[in-house]
Amino acid sequence: MGNKIVKKKILIYGAGAIGRGYVPWIFPSDSYELTFVESNKRLREALKRQKKFTTYRTRNGKYEKLVCSFQECFDLGEESPELYDGIITAVGPRQVYSLIEAFSKVDCPIVLFENDSRLPPELRVLTGKDNIYFGIPDVITSNTAPVNMLEIDPLSIVTEDGISFVEDGASSLGGNISYVSKSEMKKQWAAKLYIHNTPHCIAAYLGAMCGYKYLHEGMNKKAIYDIVEGAMEEMGQAVVKLFDLDQEFVDWYSAKELARFSNILLYDPILRVAREPFRKLGLQDRLIGASQLALSTGVIPEKLILGIMTAFMYDESSDEDFNIRILINSLDPKNFLKIIIGLKSHEALYKLIVKKWNNSIEILGDIKK
Amino acid sequence: MTKLEVAIKAAVSSGDLLLNHYGAVKEVNDKESLRDVVSDVDKLSEIKAMSIIEENYPGCVILSEENGLNAPDSGEKWVIDALDGTVNYIHNFPFYCVSISYWVDDKPVIGVVYNPHSNELFYAEKGVGAFLNQVKLSVQNCKLENGLTAMAFSGKAYNPNMRTKEFEIFGKINDISQGCLRTGSAAMNLCYLADGRFSLALGKANKVWDIGAGLLIAEEAGAMVEFNVIDKDKYLVNYIAGTKASKETIEARLGAFI
Repeated sequence: MGNKIVKKKILIYGAGAIGRGYVPWIFPSDSYELTFVESNKRLREALKRQKKFTTYRTRNGKYEKLVCSFQECFDLGEESPELYDGIITAVGPRQVYSLIEAFSKVDCPIVLFENDSRLPPELRVLTGKDNIYFGIPDVITSNTAPVNMLEIDPLSIVTEDGISFVEDGASSLGGNISYVSKSEMKKQWAAKLYIHNTPHCIAAYLGAMCGYKYLHEGMNKKAIYDIVEGAMEEMGQAVVKLFDLDQEFVDWYSAKELARFSNILLYDPILRVAREPFRKLGLQDRLIGASQLALSTGVIPEKLILGIMTAFMYDESSDEDFNIRILINSLDPKNFLKIIIGLKSHEALYKLIVKKWNNSIEILGDIKK
Repeated sequence: MTKLEVAIKAAVSSGDLLLNHYGAVKEVNDKESLRDVVSDVDKLSEIKAMSIIEENYPGCVILSEENGLNAPDSGEKWVIDALDGTVNYIHNFPFYCVSISYWVDDKPVIGVVYNPHSNELFYAEKGVGAFLNQVKLSVQNCKLENGLTAMAFSGKAYNPNMRTKEFEIFGKINDISQGCLRTGSAAMNLCYLADGRFSLALGKANKVWDIGAGLLIAEEAGAMVEFNVIDKDKYLVNYIAGTKASKETIEARLGAFI
């Protein structure tokens, strides 16, 4: 009699880019059974109908294909989270609070792939549970795929070959994950936050401004590439000073990021990255917050300010933050920065942005031509 | 610029002017009563708002607090209160605002309220939604007994007999909610309802320029809003706006308000 392998059961909240595109690669089907919870009715019903989907991984300039068969796709509230050996979330920082009740029922490791390091400690307090861990999927995953792939499977999705870093308390989950110490998480998070997130959204806003659909199309334009690279250098200088990262690591990380933003196989939609500009323009977030950090280390955020200005100019009527266009049209720079962004008039960043406002608009206008 | 953009620009420009003159009011005159006053700054603020609107929409009809109608009412008009909460303002109590709305067929379709002291810019467009600065507003269904409420009274000279009745209502609401405030700015009351600080805002015989923008902002945020123009010549309006639960409770307890 052969030994039957008992597969671990993983519940994944969110069947979007990370949940559907990337997570199946880190929990191989020979050892894991995947179940999804998805609140988007159209996507959920499509998944229920198909019972499987295809995720492509870009590696060495080629695609690798994985057809993922999953157990079930539930609507939020239909699932029984206590039946699983591990939980992964990739629903977005604003939506994760809707999972508090589900989290409070389980003792298995819960890993938040939510791009916000503040959430795990906050949710630990809100749920009274200490089994909630921070995860960094160091990967870009598109939420769609090239047309030829979608013709074969409309739920196809493309991801990079990335690495996931997760706090070592969750190591019983196993899988293709690097479980690391808190200090290593801090280093990886600093790099992800400022050398990936900040330039990534700047690339998206510049691409959107020029009317491109996918990130790699914009990065193919030299003027855009140069601003993104410049912003990355500014943030690189800042994180070396602030987080005690070594320059060699930062240089390697930056080169890796520029290559992935330009990855022509990935088809990363600009709208996915650029959406909700106000969140990215938060005082602690990846544009304004990052520029403040740069200034605090003596780095003048020249290219970062161009990125901020491009976010101010974001004009997408279907976006949740479509009103940014109304406000930028009606308010003068000082009032926009004061009332909407929340900068104080005595702050260096406020003064710098005001000083560079007109010049930035000229530079961006030239790039748009 | 769209009408909403112009309204925002005008409200914020007037608000900046109010802030620059805060604590430096030179002249105050009574209008209808001791509490119905106008300052030199009201007039300056109104000129500022009107000039921005006229620059962008030449020949438009404007109804303003200090100047009335600038042309015959054609059904579409701008309505401006360039300083709602004048008494608060002249006493350096920082609860005042600029209120600008645009009306079509006796209903507000654009509303902007700006309190320069708190950097709070409320705005709404019919069918689009209401916002505070960058954030979209959505009224939660707070019960009357769990919420703070606000009432704005008629002018002292309007109908002295009505005032006893108004104070009665004020007292009853005060007792069945967590408190009923008389803040001095009806526009801000409605905006505070829109962003959840109040659960109910109501008023008797308020001027249309006080509440035009606020009514739309509250409604677009999801509040239940009813108003009734009780005197067209004097631009007087009764209104009640609240969360569904609060409005239903108050109407069950006190009867129809407007």
